[in-house]
Amino acid sequence: MGWIALAYNWFDERTAIRSLIRKGLYEAVPVRGAWFYTLGSATLVLILLQLITGIFLTLLYVPSVTEAWASLNYLKEHDAFGSIVRGIHLWSAYILLFVIGLHMIRTFFSGSYKRPRELNWVTGVGLFVLVLAMAITGAFLPWDQAAYWTAVVVTNIAVYTPFIGSFLRALWRGADTVGPTTLIRSFGIHVWLIPAILFPLIGAHLALLRKHGEFGSYVNYRGAYRSREGVDVPPAPKQRPIEPPYPAVPTDELWAAPLETEDFYPHQTFKDGVVSAGLVILVFILAVAIGAPLEAIADPATTSYTPVPEWFFLPLDELLLLVPQQLIPLVLVLPTGGVLLLLALPFIDRGPERNPFERPAVMVPGAFAVLFVVILTLLGSGRLFNL
Amino acid sequence: MAHRDPRRLSRRQFALLGTQVAGAVVTVLLGIPIVGFILSPLFRRQQAVWREVGDIAGVPDRQPTKFEVSFPLGEWTSANVKLAVYVVKINTDFRIFSNVCTHMECPVRWEDSLRQFLCPCHGGLYDMTGNNVGGPPPKPLPQYVHRIDGTTLFIQNRFTESI
Repeated sequence: MGWIALAYNWFDERTAIRSLIRKGLYEAVPVRGAWFYTLGSATLVLILLQLITGIFLTLLYVPSVTEAWASLNYLKEHDAFGSIVRGIHLWSAYILLFVIGLHMIRTFFSGSYKRPRELNWVTGVGLFVLVLAMAITGAFLPWDQAAYWTAVVVTNIAVYTPFIGSFLRALWRGADTVGPTTLIRSFGIHVWLIPAILFPLIGAHLALLRKHGEFGSYVNYRGAYRSREGVDVPPAPKQRPIEPPYPAVPTDELWAAPLETEDFYPHQTFKDGVVSAGLVILVFILAVAIGAPLEAIADPATTSYTPVPEWFFLPLDELLLLVPQQLIPLVLVLPTGGVLLLLALPFIDRGPERNPFERPAVMVPGAFAVLFVVILTLLGSGRLFNL
Repeated sequence: MAHRDPRRLSRRQFALLGTQVAGAVVTVLLGIPIVGFILSPLFRRQQAVWREVGDIAGVPDRQPTKFEVSFPLGEWTSANVKLAVYVVKINTDFRIFSNVCTHMECPVRWEDSLRQFLCPCHGGLYDMTGNNVGGPPPKPLPQYVHRIDGTTLFIQNRFTESI
């Protein structure tokens, strides 16, 4: 035995690393739909990109109203590599919001949230909300005009909560108006509080994925059961479709066998790698070519600046414009209700049917919700950028 | 086996109770100061201070005029923040407005072509007397607490009505 193998054996005896790696790499995953499943790993890669660049940005950024803008302006003017790091942080955040949305839409339409994967979906919705919270708190930090007015408008939405509105707004701002406490609170939430919840939740999401296998989508199943002997048994005429749970290994006399499978490594990792590397290259190009903008320092006394929301706030901003005065709590009710509906989805849509074309009661409202958000975004961008 | 008095805690029940009590004690001891810390800014009264805006003798009639005034930014910082003040003179009456829109607190500006205050975010409109006359704002433009000594204007960093 070579010395590497000896060292590996020594290490394995003490840590069981070998079986851990085996378990991690040689999992049977579906062949069909595999390119769609790269969205999940791409989301993870983009979140890790956030983590890495975020950690290094704290080496320079000062979370104080008098220093925050100045530190980032120094970065912009005098530190080319630092500017790229900040550019990567910004652009991977933008693309992350987009990709995590696609990942959710894929899961929604393929019916992958059904029993026994309800909690995969619930943890996923939690992650989606936390990523949005990261985007919101992160947008406040540069303390330029864009950041300041975003902070003012976004924290002000809380005031429209019935009964405890001004309390919530003051709690978020740390004062009645946006100021030093708002910035330091947002910073603490952005770099400590949310990540401390986000990363364990990612662990839970992945553990559940591995527990149930990556076989949630309807495309992974033939319309038949398989016996333990491996013989396909067509379902009785009124028995379709196959009942969940969909296991990856035989559990019953008759079980819903996934179609073709292959090893996670290297087949799925190849597809994951191609998509993730492609996205990282895209992020890098955008970070170098466009970078992260920094406007003039925050000025509450301005009477010439026109606040323009970040693109991911556009639907909410358009809603603020469209709802009549008396119905303004809708800007809170609609997003909150939307999240609650998403959380409830797997417990409402409990039928075994996963084919999107056979589930109009869920697909049609879902498609309308997606369309609603897209239309609000288009209206908002049309209004603000005179498209 | 000895007969046990059911009213007495078993060794196991005692351990279970002890674990729960220990957990509760730690949670409460940590929770009280942390929650208090998060809430504490809400119970501190903002220091209202007077600042001189300037001489308003030259402010033209029915022509909102902008001033800027510095106020302390916060309790633990020596930095200042500049606030915008619109002085509106109508005959002999003065109104002292802020630039904070009552809809989403965006920065309102005087649009001379419209003869109205315009909020650039969602198109809110206020007339010269501060009344919300168009778009989404639910209340009139906020006015600063102020006093005029002769022709010198002083304001406090708070509004006559909270928004």
